[in-house]
Amino acid sequence: MTLIRTVRLTKRFARVTALDGLDLELEPGIIGLVGANGAGKSTLIKILLGLLQPTSGSGEVMGFDVFRQGPELRQFVGYMPEHDCLPTEVSATEFVAHMAQISGLPRAAARERTAETLRHVGLFEERYREMRGYSTGMKQRVKLAQALVHDPRLMFLDEPTNGLDPEGRDEMLQLIRRIGMEFGIAIVLSSHLLSEIERVCDHLVEIEDGRLVRSSSMTALTAPTSVLAIEVDGDAGQLADRLREQDVAVSRSGRFLLVQKEDDALLDIIRDSVVDLELGLVRLEQSRRRLEELFQSLPAGEEQEGSHV
Amino acid sequence: MSESTVGSIYDLGYKRYEGARLGRRHAIWALYIYSVRGVFGIGRSLSSKVGPMGLAIIALLPAVVQLGTAAIAPEDIEVVEPAQYYRFIEVVLAAFCAVVAPELVGRDQRMQTLSLYFSRALRRQDYALAKFAALITGMLAITVIPQVIMFVGNGLAANDFGDYLQDKWTDLPSVLGSAILLSGFIASIGLVIAAQTPRRAYSTVAILAAFVLASAVGSSLFEAAGQDVGRFVLLISPFHIVNGLTLWFFDASPEVGSQLAEADLPGAAYAIEAASVALLMLALLLRRYGRIST
Repeated sequence: MTLIRTVRLTKRFARVTALDGLDLELEPGIIGLVGANGAGKSTLIKILLGLLQPTSGSGEVMGFDVFRQGPELRQFVGYMPEHDCLPTEVSATEFVAHMAQISGLPRAAARERTAETLRHVGLFEERYREMRGYSTGMKQRVKLAQALVHDPRLMFLDEPTNGLDPEGRDEMLQLIRRIGMEFGIAIVLSSHLLSEIERVCDHLVEIEDGRLVRSSSMTALTAPTSVLAIEVDGDAGQLADRLREQDVAVSRSGRFLLVQKEDDALLDIIRDSVVDLELGLVRLEQSRRRLEELFQSLPAGEEQEGSHV
Repeated sequence: MSESTVGSIYDLGYKRYEGARLGRRHAIWALYIYSVRGVFGIGRSLSSKVGPMGLAIIALLPAVVQLGTAAIAPEDIEVVEPAQYYRFIEVVLAAFCAVVAPELVGRDQRMQTLSLYFSRALRRQDYALAKFAALITGMLAITVIPQVIMFVGNGLAANDFGDYLQDKWTDLPSVLGSAILLSGFIASIGLVIAAQTPRRAYSTVAILAAFVLASAVGSSLFEAAGQDVGRFVLLISPFHIVNGLTLWFFDASPEVGSQLAEADLPGAAYAIEAASVALLMLALLLRRYGRIST
């Protein structure tokens, strides 16, 4: 099943073009949506939720037409906005149960699932209190809960770690990962922090100026490189010299020696050299690309042509 | 929090929901019920009950006075006639609307909760309609309940309840018809104003002004230019519209010497105007919610 499909989706505001003929086709998974502020991330999410009308183009989510079948579709979609959105004068329990009903759940089921969902996000006795006095962390949990309570097939999470301290950020990311992996709910997570996307997502979509820059699985993006990283207990310079003597190109990066791996014979050379020099081999691994490196080494413009959608 | 403690707290197993999903109509109904509760502050803090409940009680006072009088002197004394009832509580009706309407729609704008509603199983216009229905329901409660209490009380005070019923049962459709129309009229104006701004203070003042000020202006203009075609300026006044349409529903005449009597407009004019204004306001409300950004 295709999770999300857009065809030439365009949204123009008075002065800016937020989405510029965006073609997108995504399979279910935990999808990270990255891009600078104003790249069109929130606009895309809002259009797919039916909160905004596009200027032109079409959008489909789980086979539903976003514009003509909005209410039916949105029974199966959860949304956690970036901004504050909670009323202050009701309790978390009452509000989340209300939201579950607005998503189509019968009253009794809404109440039952509210209790469970608030437990899943880690909100306990506080849930009966008015939300007026809630901390940012508690509010984020309630926002997540209202997006999860009706057991959606897909959740849109817009900058869910905003305003959280490092510990809260950690817990939120763990929760999201769990919802995606164990609960089996597809997730579209927008964030401006690559490290978060890298931790949680298995697919990455980058948009810039309302256009698709890349859409690719995380494993492909962070594929193992052909570079071997060697860490030894002792004088790494000695080892570097020894390897160069045997015609191996070596570079240094901090404590690590980096060599280009051409065939497995190289592994033997390294092992023998380490033994000869009586050094301790601490680490010998194929290094993986990190998202940050990728986004530095490949300026967005270069890939635009070749990115497939 | 480490991985293991997170696990032990949260790991209660996730249950999929396999039950019914009732869709848009259920969502609208749920929003309506929630909003009606909100109108009277039911399930909310004490402070959110004080305003609406207090005004609802004040709206009952004329009925209580009538019942008291009827109990003491049961012989056909009607201090407060049903057709005249809203003359006593017209300001209370306006105040109720001015207190409740901003809470009903302004709060969701102020707290940015609208985006949560609009991303669920209803459409923007459904939201507006549910809120409109909720406010009408609230207005009906403070108009119909006093009338019904008065009707029953007068009946019990009468010599024979059976005779009384036979005599007066035609009042009931009049009570209902006038209450529905005037509630729709007042609610629609109040909601359109309240939907324009998230600021409660502004909309409360604006709604009060729309009723009290406009009524005063209409009344003064009528004093100044109340002849011939000039008589129609009385239709500027919301309170005269409310009372005029109620008299029309009861097929009763206005009190001699009152402005309604002097204007001597056909009673239907008030009803038609109220209905047209309500429809126009509803259209504006739907348009507003079709465009409001979230």
